[in-house]
Amino acid sequence: MKKSMRFGAAIALAATASLTLASCGFGGSNGDEGEGGGTTLDLLVPSYSDNTQALWDDVIAGFEEENPDIDVKLQVESWDNLETVISTQIQGGEAPDIYNGGPFAGFAADELLYPVEEVVSAETLSDFQDSFLANAEVDGTAYALPFIASARALFVNNALLEQAGVAEAPKTWDELLDAATKVSALGNGIAGYGMPLGSEEAQAEAAVWLWGGGGTFGDADAITIDDPSNLPGAEQVKAMIDAGATQADPGSTDRSPLMDIFIQGQIGMQVGLPPTVGQIEENNPELDYSIVPIPTQDGSPFTLGVMDQLMAFQNDGDKQEAITAFFDYFYSSDVYVPWVQGEGFLPVTKSGAEALGGEEALKAFLDVLPDAQFYPSTNPQWSAADSAFKALFGQIQTKSAQEVLTEIQAQVDAS
Amino acid sequence: MSTTTETASTPTGAATGRPRSGAAPEGRRPRGRDLLHALPWIGPALILIFGVVLFPAVVMFVNSTRDISISGVDQGSVGFDNYLEVFSFPYFWPIFGRTIVWVVVVVAATVVISLGLAQLLNKAFPGRQLVRLAVIIPWAASVVMTTMVVYYGLEPYFGIINTFLVDIGLVDTPEGYGWTRNPDTAFAWSIVIAVFVSLPFTTYTILAGLQTVPGEVLEAAKMDGAGPVRTYWGVVLPQLRSALAVAVLINIINVFNSLPILKVMTGSIPGYDADTIMTMIFKYIQNQHKVDVASALSVVAFLIVIVIVAVYVRVVKPMKEV
Repeated sequence: MKKSMRFGAAIALAATASLTLASCGFGGSNGDEGEGGGTTLDLLVPSYSDNTQALWDDVIAGFEEENPDIDVKLQVESWDNLETVISTQIQGGEAPDIYNGGPFAGFAADELLYPVEEVVSAETLSDFQDSFLANAEVDGTAYALPFIASARALFVNNALLEQAGVAEAPKTWDELLDAATKVSALGNGIAGYGMPLGSEEAQAEAAVWLWGGGGTFGDADAITIDDPSNLPGAEQVKAMIDAGATQADPGSTDRSPLMDIFIQGQIGMQVGLPPTVGQIEENNPELDYSIVPIPTQDGSPFTLGVMDQLMAFQNDGDKQEAITAFFDYFYSSDVYVPWVQGEGFLPVTKSGAEALGGEEALKAFLDVLPDAQFYPSTNPQWSAADSAFKALFGQIQTKSAQEVLTEIQAQVDAS
Repeated sequence: MSTTTETASTPTGAATGRPRSGAAPEGRRPRGRDLLHALPWIGPALILIFGVVLFPAVVMFVNSTRDISISGVDQGSVGFDNYLEVFSFPYFWPIFGRTIVWVVVVVAATVVISLGLAQLLNKAFPGRQLVRLAVIIPWAASVVMTTMVVYYGLEPYFGIINTFLVDIGLVDTPEGYGWTRNPDTAFAWSIVIAVFVSLPFTTYTILAGLQTVPGEVLEAAKMDGAGPVRTYWGVVLPQLRSALAVAVLINIINVFNSLPILKVMTGSIPGYDADTIMTMIFKYIQNQHKVDVASALSVVAFLIVIVIVAVYVRVVKPMKEV
């Protein structure tokens, strides 16, 4: 009897263990044995939307047709997992050859990347918008190629603003606070301003406010979060929350789900991206909205530019040519423009900007692009600052503005 | 325990095949050869234990004493600095306390509810098979899926649980309350889910224990005039001791190591007010890319589990015979 009891327990234990293990799956396998004599390029990319995989498959099919001796292996990961996957691969000595991601200065500091001059032709290099390329430089050498860009703008629900008696979309913080408070007062769960400070993309909403008040996150040499210039923006965030001008619990609301609620017509104003236009088109074409520049403290134009990069890892010297061939192919206007268009982002090449200049939906964003400010992503500490914002900035809902800035700075400095 | 295991002369099965002829009279020598013969049989298990349990544990310990860069490059040894960082983190002790609350509350609630459920399922009633099946369902569903269902139910604006609470007037904001947006409520709901998913295993372990309680003993208690309450406390519960021991021990380890529920339920909350040690390990890896510090905290977590289990075994003496 005893024995059978313990046997039963053992089975139960095994079952529980397998159930628990199964529920926290560790994804990611990569077989990268190249067949034949050709070169194999491993490509690790994040998924921007449901189209991403198909868009890359098209690019790769076209490329392999032109270069039959090069075999491209595609691995698509979600943004959530991307950075874990890349660091696991690097740790295991299996870095991809080409990687599409955000922060890259850490890789450059570890001397894992090719300088871009070595992996693209001169013509391709000269086609990039200069400001974008400059943003990818560490000590004067660019280690990553600009890939796609996006800018932000304020999406305004015209119907709600009209209902609340707001005549014009706000341009300054004071007008925004006033308009949002009025919209919130409509009741029925309607929020004036959608403020997503949850872990998904807290750094973006933080930048919109802190920089809009003349603040900065620092530069390539130093990350300065706990800086007097950031305080007005942080205080204004608190003022918005305290006035009840935002949705409930802004500190732990993520951006994507909140955007869905804006699309449903329950939020007066929220900062959005170019792909938001497509989302509204698809899910609620009835929505009466307009896109205006982001309000700032003094009303001067500003936008948060975000640029993702493509970078090439130095695995084997003999892959350099294949990588160059791939980049030159990808950035040719015929291949690059459909890709950018398919995802609804903004192009980073001069030829791409010309080709897309006539697009109506992108116009509002292309207009503000000259005033774009970027994250200090060339600073090796930026990715630490980025995570610190994600993990801590939402506390501004309950803690004082100064305290939150200090805590973020402390976490950055400790890394 | 030791006495019973030795006297319980259960046949070890025909698979051993080899007769143990003359092993005793010849003394110690053949034992080594026995071991050698046994090696092919226990070999796979040994390889598994070394490869899947011990080797990763050693790697984890080694990692915890190294300085590993954000992109995963090993930059040499730092001694015990990573441990220092773990313990000097200002939120470490609150997180530690919350972990203990998490384990104790979830395991206690699970065991109490399971005792009742098992008692119910032990009674014969029409449709018992169906009810028994229903109890297994939370076990059959993926933990993440179960958690996501509750998570979306609790979302403001469109969550079904929130809408229900608004409709019956318990929540007075029209879009609902941000249950998963506030550390305390998110943590409380996580406990509810953790109890829910732990019930099937615990209930079935106790049910198995209940079925080993001999009918004669219960009859004897009845003859002696013991009421239902007295019978339960004095006769049934002591007999459940070993079943409970298994259930509690496995639940402690399981609940302590549980990440998915808290990760889903409290993932969007800023700061560290709803974290346990497991989610903190996850945050070190995922947000801060500190594999080295995460390894150090994992080693600490491992030690804590051992201590909890040791205390439990020492204080409750679950293995002692009635």
